[in-house]
Amino acid sequence: MHFAPLPYLDPGSGSFLIQLLIAALLGIGVAVRASWSRIKGWFGIKPKTDEDDDETSK
Amino acid sequence: MRMTTKQANSEQLAASFRDPSGFLFSRDGVLYRQVNRAYEQEYRRLIESGLYEKLVKAGLLIPHTEVDPFPARGDEAFRVIRPERVPFISYPYEWSFGQLKDAALATLSIQRRALKAGMSLKDASAYNIQFVLGKPTLIDTLSFESYREGQPWVAYRQFCQHFLAPLALMALRDIRLNQLLRVYIDGVPLDLASELLPWSTRFNFGLLTHIHLHAKAQKKYAGQDVKSRGSATFSKQAMTGLIDSLDAAIRKLNQDPGGTEWGNYYDITNYSDAAFEHKKQLVGAWVKQVNPGLIWDLGANTGVFSRVASSSGSFVVSFDIDPAAVEQNYRQAKKEKSENLLPLLLDLTNPSPSLGWANRERDSFALRGPADLVLALALIHHLAISNNVPLPQLSGFLAETGKWLVIEFVPKSDSQVQRLLASREDIFPDYTREGFEAAFSRRFRIDSAVNVHESERVLYLMEGK
Repeated sequence: MHFAPLPYLDPGSGSFLIQLLIAALLGIGVAVRASWSRIKGWFGIKPKTDEDDDETSK
Repeated sequence: MRMTTKQANSEQLAASFRDPSGFLFSRDGVLYRQVNRAYEQEYRRLIESGLYEKLVKAGLLIPHTEVDPFPARGDEAFRVIRPERVPFISYPYEWSFGQLKDAALATLSIQRRALKAGMSLKDASAYNIQFVLGKPTLIDTLSFESYREGQPWVAYRQFCQHFLAPLALMALRDIRLNQLLRVYIDGVPLDLASELLPWSTRFNFGLLTHIHLHAKAQKKYAGQDVKSRGSATFSKQAMTGLIDSLDAAIRKLNQDPGGTEWGNYYDITNYSDAAFEHKKQLVGAWVKQVNPGLIWDLGANTGVFSRVASSSGSFVVSFDIDPAAVEQNYRQAKKEKSENLLPLLLDLTNPSPSLGWANRERDSFALRGPADLVLALALIHHLAISNNVPLPQLSGFLAETGKWLVIEFVPKSDSQVQRLLASREDIFPDYTREGFEAAFSRRFRIDSAVNVHESERVLYLMEGK
């Protein structure tokens, strides 16, 4: 891993490593969802609206 | 913001010292933020990428104007900006569950938009969020840095400590655990959160990973150099996954504001409709007469009278001790899209102190005043009788808290006072209308005193001497 310029907050060693673990688990999820929506796209099912347009909470 | 450090003909704010990107200072009562040269590229990127405009439009970032450069510390300065003033600074330990949750979701929403613009939040402090026009808004314009592909999120730990851990504790253990934020200025330590959360939260993927495993990893790798470990990188997709996962974990947490001390207070008061209406009418008329900029409603419950007071345009901070009442108040304000009403949690018998480095990072309740007008309705018996505060002391405290005062005297014969006295000896011989007026006349000029219809209570308008 290469970590460029030092941040002003200490991100914490454990907090950095746990992100890699979570990423490994979630990256799979995101990839599956991305291809799933592509597959749905072939059948003309549109994805949900962009998150950015959502209210901050319901 | 009175607590400042003299510096080169301007006042640097004591809370603004950690980040080398710049700092806040005030001059002639106006608040400015100096952007340091070290931050020049990031600042340009924030503006030129269109991210600034997008965030401001969405109400997620405080708008600012660039002003003629007259920096406080000239040698380091790149630019000086003047952020729009926040009407009242509040802190996460004064927020209800819903407020902290909305602040968390706003932070994640900002991070998502930043990533789309090739930037990332370099901190995720709950103190960087303030309620502006009723919505959680980032007030630190210098919180962004260029996103570097492969890098994990620098602010991940801070986000978990400031938002996820206290929200999980409030929702799943006890609502009062938000007060841990008052003790731990950089958020709830994750090992503590992990210990306090119910064991069953290990079956919740978000809490298992972001809190329990996170705490374990912190302990295991504390102080180790991770820069040289392996060749793993953190893709942008992984970053998006992380943010989505935090978002899902936060959204899953809910808290029902029913059933604490005051949740249904208005159903159990001894007010007739006529008395209630009369009280509303008096408060409305006096607020119009005084025309205050800032009103503090102390003991506001769910904010019925705060709403009366805010209807003529004043900014009303609506304080109450009960988390359920504050939550209901906030939900209603949100539903009404109220822009000048801020519900906050406050125990008047032990108000927020000055906190942080040198006791100067977070201002106490008193330092954020005085208000132009204080409302103290159906409050005095709780302070004078339940908390044994002598009336002259109460008068002194309120005189320092507000320039004008609308206060309700609740006599001993009132059933609410009888209820407070039911289980204790009556050691309050001075708690009479005469004793009350004598005590308050020391610090106030009594402008009006009106008997509330169909009630034994008296409503006063007073001006500080």
